[in-house]
Amino acid sequence: MLQPLTVVLLVASGVLGVLAAHHLLRGRLVDDPLIIVGAVIELALLVQLVVGLTKASAIADGAERATFIAYLFTVLLVIPASVVIAVKEKTQWAMAVVLGGALVVAILVARLQQVWSLNA
Amino acid sequence: MPEPSPPPSPSPSPEAVPERPHTGHGFGRLLVAVYGLLALAATGRSILQIVEYFDRAPVPFLLSALAAVIYLVATIGLARGDRASVRLATIALTVELVGVLTVGAWSLADKAAFPEKTVWSHFGQGYGYVPLVLPLVGLWWIRRTARAGAAADADVARSAH
Repeated sequence: MLQPLTVVLLVASGVLGVLAAHHLLRGRLVDDPLIIVGAVIELALLVQLVVGLTKASAIADGAERATFIAYLFTVLLVIPASVVIAVKEKTQWAMAVVLGGALVVAILVARLQQVWSLNA
Repeated sequence: MPEPSPPPSPSPSPEAVPERPHTGHGFGRLLVAVYGLLALAATGRSILQIVEYFDRAPVPFLLSALAAVIYLVATIGLARGDRASVRLATIALTVELVGVLTVGAWSLADKAAFPEKTVWSHFGQGYGYVPLVLPLVGLWWIRRTARAGAAADADVARSAH
């Protein structure tokens, strides 16, 4: 896969996680900076989807390729779902959801890279 | 009707009075998010396993599918938060707890039966033991909201007199 893209995604999810943790401690809710970082991640994930789909044929094993493609699509859902849940919640738990979402994106991106490097 | 006399409010009015405890609000949002994620993970895994290589190990794959259904029921039940939904979620979480303990022990005792991983094998090790901890947290949360709800009802009843 594209290693720079993976690095960008991991850093961006880290930024989102730190931002959410900061907001959590300060008692803030979803605001513009949070949405912008989330949007940047989502955009990078879409690029990852396109790159991943074009390169997926390099993975020979059918099941591993299916896993890889499934991860590419699944990871797209995490940020929008987290933000929707967070917007509805008016307590600090909103930020806990975003923090969790950032962590899950990072884990899924790392898993994608792992599936890729083991099979392609 | 178990509801006390004053305001017959079927839908909670969020801004008015302190909010009535709801399994899908506050900490419950995080719980619903994590359950939703596990539902997604288990569904994906079971579809893949059943479509790609069902013959290899039918038992773990069917267990993955069962786990997926249970996580789905738990997610929806907790998110809806009405009485019937919470009861359904309680059942789902109990089955989940029994399932993860049974399958966890079974997968350790009889490794041959589990050549492939499931969400629950080895007590959910592959998922950071989240499948083991989650039903306990979920059941605690349901109990807590139910108690807080009962207390709120009692307050309302008391202030009415």
